[in-house]
Amino acid sequence: MHIQMVTFSEPKAGYEAKEWQDGACGGVISDPRGPVSRARFIVLDGASTAYDPVRWVDQLVTSFIPAPGAPVGPRLEPASMRAWFAQMQDRWAKAGPQSNDAIDEQMWRDVGSMATLLAFEIVGLDGPEPYWQGVALGDTVLFHVRDNRLVASFPPLGPDDFGTNPDGVRTRKDSLDMMVERLLVGGGVLADGDLIFAATDAMAHWLVRAILREEQKVWHTMAGLAHPDVFARFVTDQRKEIDAAKRLKNDDVTLMRLRITADQPSFLLACR
Amino acid sequence: MYEREISRTNPGCVVFLLDRSDSMKQQWGNSQETLAQGAARELNNILLELLFTSQGEPGKARHYFDVGVFGYGIRPMAGGEGVESAFGGRLAGHALVPLPELRDNPITVREVASPDAGAPPSRVPIWVEAAHGYKTPMCQAVAVAGAHVYQWAASHPDSFPPIIINITDGLVTDNGYEGANLDEWAQRLMNIQTSDGPSLLFNVFLSPTPMSNGVLFPNSDRGLPPPGPDLFRISSPLPPMMLSNAIGVGNYVEQGARGFAFNADSKMLARLLEVGTRVGVRD
Repeated sequence: MHIQMVTFSEPKAGYEAKEWQDGACGGVISDPRGPVSRARFIVLDGASTAYDPVRWVDQLVTSFIPAPGAPVGPRLEPASMRAWFAQMQDRWAKAGPQSNDAIDEQMWRDVGSMATLLAFEIVGLDGPEPYWQGVALGDTVLFHVRDNRLVASFPPLGPDDFGTNPDGVRTRKDSLDMMVERLLVGGGVLADGDLIFAATDAMAHWLVRAILREEQKVWHTMAGLAHPDVFARFVTDQRKEIDAAKRLKNDDVTLMRLRITADQPSFLLACR
Repeated sequence: MYEREISRTNPGCVVFLLDRSDSMKQQWGNSQETLAQGAARELNNILLELLFTSQGEPGKARHYFDVGVFGYGIRPMAGGEGVESAFGGRLAGHALVPLPELRDNPITVREVASPDAGAPPSRVPIWVEAAHGYKTPMCQAVAVAGAHVYQWAASHPDSFPPIIINITDGLVTDNGYEGANLDEWAQRLMNIQTSDGPSLLFNVFLSPTPMSNGVLFPNSDRGLPPPGPDLFRISSPLPPMMLSNAIGVGNYVEQGARGFAFNADSKMLARLLEVGTRVGVRD
């Protein structure tokens, strides 16, 4: 089977694209330690109130999905993730703050940086029963959808589970034990035609609420998003929704969509 | 009410009223600091926290807040007794300062010992210095700050309402200032509003001997000696999100709790400043 991947993103309204503090990346990996046919993905949401979340997110993304030929990132189980978290914290500590500025120094040391994490792999695409497996810290959510119905969400968050202080991958070393304790592990079996969406909290919260009202329509719409401009209009419209219960929160928005298909795509849309 | 998030389009406003009367020279409990030094330290800390909250990228602050600090009692800049901006250095005389400007203009940066053993000293920016002298013209302070808050609210009609936090250790000495007492001045201040609600006025009464009888976020003035009931009466109820924040950082808080601390020690002052200035900025 094949994976068709697309990622849409929008910064907060009124912000520039470079101020987008999420991160998303994915691709097939070559790892002599693991299954031959494997793709891995990561979606992160850097905390606005943390120190230099853009740099922290970039460090995590590029380590988790390294350039071809570089060592592959951690295995998706607690012990390996713990070692990776510690390695990331060490690298961050070694790099230090961006400047000699006293406020930067204080914030770098006392507050540090933080990003919610959803990391997952799709394994066994050449076999009879491909599956996804993932780890999560915080409120970035994976939605596994089949025939416009939700098969599973991971983490399984409800409408009231999105707060202002989610778990995440933190730079402070005293957070390491807590991060591993709260790390969630999940997975599911995939079939031809399945969709996987990975969304940072604003989009995930919107999806969780929207599918309670009109599930089939929501997944149909999400599956049909075909261009960044269409996604941008969708985000703008939903942020303006008068009904607060339906409104998309004005936050950075990221939506990764993976389509699992037995066939190669019949057309390719290239967006600039 | 009190649901608007802070953004660069709709920034917030936080004003501190700092008692600089003579009695602030007293030692604060068992600490090595005077009340004036401790209050200035906590004020500098909370200004730093506001900058942390508003940091977009390293080295820069987003304009999420306009901030003012008005000292009352001694006026180190103008001389004599009265009210003046407590900012020093390049910000001296400035009433409300956007956070990016605040970030770039501390009076100085001091090295203080790190609480972590073996760690190098921290470099701490200072915007407000300790000072004490003269009486306690609290009404005038509310009046002067209120004029700036009024102008600010008029030019930011859709922002989160202004937050005013008064830090004092004494009894008001200018009741009747321009024909109004403290209750009336406070009411005028709390009548200033944006489309998201009336201004919030919180009060902290510092005690040189705080011991164990401090009260934080009470929902009644029962049992409080003077001037507790007077300050409780002019303290705004905590909006729901601040109630949640107060509970979230480990305070025991009941419905109807007000933004008030009585016989506060430095920890209590820090708690009130933290809860009273934490507004959603994840816009």
